[in-house]
Amino acid sequence: MATQIVMDHNGDTRHTFDAADAKAVLKAERRFRELTGAGYTAATRTAVGPVVTRTFDPTAKETLFYPRLVGG
Amino acid sequence: MVKQLRIANVQIARLFAGCLRWAREFYDWCQRPGTTELRGRRLLREWLSSEQLAQYDAHNYFEVTGCYTGRRYRINHGVGMNIYELDRAGRPQAGWCFVPNAELVAGDVMLAQKIALETDELGALAVAKNFTMRI
Repeated sequence: MATQIVMDHNGDTRHTFDAADAKAVLKAERRFRELTGAGYTAATRTAVGPVVTRTFDPTAKETLFYPRLVGG
Repeated sequence: MVKQLRIANVQIARLFAGCLRWAREFYDWCQRPGTTELRGRRLLREWLSSEQLAQYDAHNYFEVTGCYTGRRYRINHGVGMNIYELDRAGRPQAGWCFVPNAELVAGDVMLAQKIALETDELGALAVAKNFTMRI
């Protein structure tokens, strides 16, 4: 199972999907496009550290989305 | 009469000690992290490297290396004005502030800051504001 983690006011919301299920992958890809289109950054975890990704990867085990960064 | 005063004194002391204990418990209860806060911390811990996690557990901060300049930054526990750029000796020399544009708990904010500095240091610093440190 793959997981999309979206940071929000609850801490985070997790969406899991089966990468072998075409319908679920389509839904996950739509979520990816919506979030990145809204300014979220998508990152995946690798052995050498986090990597920012701009294209949907259905094989990524875990993708984290965080909102656009602004000066505080 | 003296005996009665002594008994009253002991009772007042007990009452005061009880109130003090109750106040301390109430303070601890108010200070406990909420579920959202705990969820944020758990997510942060999942994404920290083992060195960063050990540092965070020991000092309530962790350090990251900027992907472009190789500079070291210290991310303190917090939701703003919590990033210090370190000099070669590891001493804070500048303060930077950039945060996600949403209401997030400390763990989430710190994780976003870590990923930004490790993957897009210049982009993060371009939006960041410089601040004077209070050390």
